Amino acid sequence: MSDLEQGNRNDLLISPFLIMFIIHSNQVGVGVLGFQRYIAAYAGNDAWIVVIVTGLIFHLFIWMMYRILSDGTFDIIDLHNKWFGKWIGSVFNLALMMYLLLGTIVILRTFIEVIQAWMFPELATWIPVALYLLLTYYVLAGGFRTVAGICFFGVIIPVWLVFTATAPIKFSTFSNLLPMMDHSLKDFALGTRQMTLSYVGIDILLLAYPFLKNPRSSRIWAHMGVLLTTLVYTMVMIVSLAFYSAGQLQQSIWSTLIAWKVVELPFVERFEYIGITFWCFVVFPNICLTMWGASRVGKKVLHIKQKYFVIILIAFVFTVCVMVVNRDQVDYLNTLTSIIGTYVYYFYIPFIFLYSMIWRRVKKRI
Amino acid sequence: MKWFKKGASEKPENLEEMVKDLKQSIDFVDYENKESDQPYRLIYFASLIDPEQLHRDLLPVIKESRSKSLEDLKGILPIENIEISSKLPLIQERLLEGHVAIQLSRGQKVLLVNISLRKSRDLSAPEIEFSVMGPKEGLVEDLHTNMNLLRRRIPHPRLRMKEITIGTVSKTKVVVAFIEGVASEQNINTVMQRLEDLDFDIISDSSFIGQMLEDNSLSVFPQMIDTERTDRITGHMNFGAFAILTEGSSNALIGPINFGQLLVSFEDYYLGWNIASFFRIVRMIAILASIIATPLYVAVLTYHYELFPSKLLATLISSRSDIPFSPVVEVFFLEVTIDLLREAGARMPTKVGQTLGIVGGIVIGTAAVEASLTSNILLILVALSALASFTTPVYRMTNTIRFLRYPLILFAQLLGLIGVALFGLFILTHMIRLTSFGNPYLAPLYPPRIKDWYDSFFRLPYVMQKNRFQFFRGKQSKRFEDKKKRKHSLDFDEQ
Repeated sequence: MSDLEQGNRNDLLISPFLIMFIIHSNQVGVGVLGFQRYIAAYAGNDAWIVVIVTGLIFHLFIWMMYRILSDGTFDIIDLHNKWFGKWIGSVFNLALMMYLLLGTIVILRTFIEVIQAWMFPELATWIPVALYLLLTYYVLAGGFRTVAGICFFGVIIPVWLVFTATAPIKFSTFSNLLPMMDHSLKDFALGTRQMTLSYVGIDILLLAYPFLKNPRSSRIWAHMGVLLTTLVYTMVMIVSLAFYSAGQLQQSIWSTLIAWKVVELPFVERFEYIGITFWCFVVFPNICLTMWGASRVGKKVLHIKQKYFVIILIAFVFTVCVMVVNRDQVDYLNTLTSIIGTYVYYFYIPFIFLYSMIWRRVKKRI
Repeated sequence: MKWFKKGASEKPENLEEMVKDLKQSIDFVDYENKESDQPYRLIYFASLIDPEQLHRDLLPVIKESRSKSLEDLKGILPIENIEISSKLPLIQERLLEGHVAIQLSRGQKVLLVNISLRKSRDLSAPEIEFSVMGPKEGLVEDLHTNMNLLRRRIPHPRLRMKEITIGTVSKTKVVVAFIEGVASEQNINTVMQRLEDLDFDIISDSSFIGQMLEDNSLSVFPQMIDTERTDRITGHMNFGAFAILTEGSSNALIGPINFGQLLVSFEDYYLGWNIASFFRIVRMIAILASIIATPLYVAVLTYHYELFPSKLLATLISSRSDIPFSPVVEVFFLEVTIDLLREAGARMPTKVGQTLGIVGGIVIGTAAVEASLTSNILLILVALSALASFTTPVYRMTNTIRFLRYPLILFAQLLGLIGVALFGLFILTHMIRLTSFGNPYLAPLYPPRIKDWYDSFFRLPYVMQKNRFQFFRGKQSKRFEDKKKRKHSLDFDEQ
């Protein structure tokens, strides 16, 4: 049985609709600030279609995950152990942990790269990293309900930034989007592959599932989470395609931040500073969720208490983040995550989905 | 409390020894009348009893009774709560509560009659939680008067009051009042359990109990509301909260609460719902602005001056051009000044305090600007944020707000806007984790309970407040039945 069965189970669980915030906040990270050019490099003015198509694919993944998880008493760690035995299962679980940790490192380091590039060019990496990780420990010590709370506020507090997308419209030429469907299928496929990195993050569902009250009824909310992400990305992409010319977009590393410059408020000149400040709230749930996931694996596979294992994880993440010193290395980390994420989503999840289907047919049990 | 335990260990063997021991105090009386037809002996603390009652109700009856035993006397005395005992600890306890011990002949048995004197000041209007509208009735230091005030406001059989004595020395009576069925049993059990577990010597005020009952004593956020307003207490009890009344304290404690209730003035309920909602929102913005105004000044002027449009920047620069300090020193100087004024105003006698506070503020403020120690703009910011911090309806929350800005200023100096955001995340996490008697502090925002929103950041009309807050998890969820239900809505010209 799952370890949640012990103790007062109900006090640890969260409302099913919070999974919307969890999934959405784990998907949206630093990527929104500069994903446009990678997609437009392949799909050009059709990039927004790529965004929607990738969103639809991720709805499919959500569907698969709910089939994999089925009745909700087990998370993917238990299922790995059940299906592949203790040894191979542990290998899978540890790989999952490394994948989650990579997620933490990429998002934290990339965000600090943004801070260093835009606000504090001479800021030592270790200061914000240390502060962020200390905060993460404080959140994780409060249990999953606190993590879910951070996800909730991580969506609610910066939500008003959506309205800033209207500012560049004044300077946009929407004819940039025409002609539609002007790219080959191969371009679309490559664009989708690039876009995957921005959508990655729904994997947290595989671990958070047993923490939901009535997990089956949460399905609609999980889809809503992905839908919300799709809407945000599509909106940002359309505005960027209309605001920038094709060449300009390729030149801009942080397209969203640059577009924010045109936001005009009576007492604010450089709006991107405020945007980045609020992005602290967007990035934090990602760090908390991935660290939480990794510590769950540590607890279940290595049998180390979360309160100690998180310290080890924090030390590890801190060391790696400080070792990454320049833009190229950050880019490399992002590319690496993109590749691994592609494999995780396009090979591992379909594989485990089919495996679970066959296993349940043959063994007649979960 | 070593001295006390040492005293208690020398337990008197019999009544005479105890009397001899107590006689060391000047207010202790041991009077024996052997000459009259009816010999009797009275033992009491003169400072605790009501002499009028003694001479009017007690002595004449004893003299004329000619009863031979204490049992006879018990039958004829016109006072309730009379007991006969020979247990020394009980006798001593009763004597200290204001009872008179009567003996007709020497021995161990005494008759204990309660004629204690209650002195309490008259009722007065609430001074800390002032309101323009609504009842002007505040609690006083006397527990009985306070219980009377509550009972008169809720004349309902389900209004329960449970008593418990706390404090090894002060023996303070503490009453937990709640409406059964409306308050959840779990909350009541939690608070009774915690009160029973309290170990302390002297309880000077209800805030002692408040601090010791809190879920997280490290937190700067109040987890109970201290209030002197009876309407607020009964209002919260009707939501499903309990109130803790303490002997000798004019403040009651209300719990469990959530953060939103700290920003609610009870006057909001006396104004129309739309006006009240507007003021609530203004108050919330004021509080947020009060916390972050000066940290933002530090952050922006130290690191991100390009954030300002050039015209505004010019104004700022011209006002700061003569000032030899960095923004953080300037801000600290002025914030500490404001807190000094506040502290001095609170400590000084009222009449001196007010004048000195205002005059001091103006003099120090203008003089500081003219001496180029601070800029005009900062002075405006600090004054506004001080003003905003005092809009909080709960006094302890005001202190929290005043306190929170100092670490925030430090973080603003350390990391600019990012520092402010990170400290904001810390406070947010802290508030998500915080509970009040096990109930989430940020409810109904998180965990989201949309049904409770009718009276949170805003307040809907009373007809839409049919249900009690889910937050308190009481059994009786309905507040009242809606009697007049319109079948169909009337069209124009149909009224």
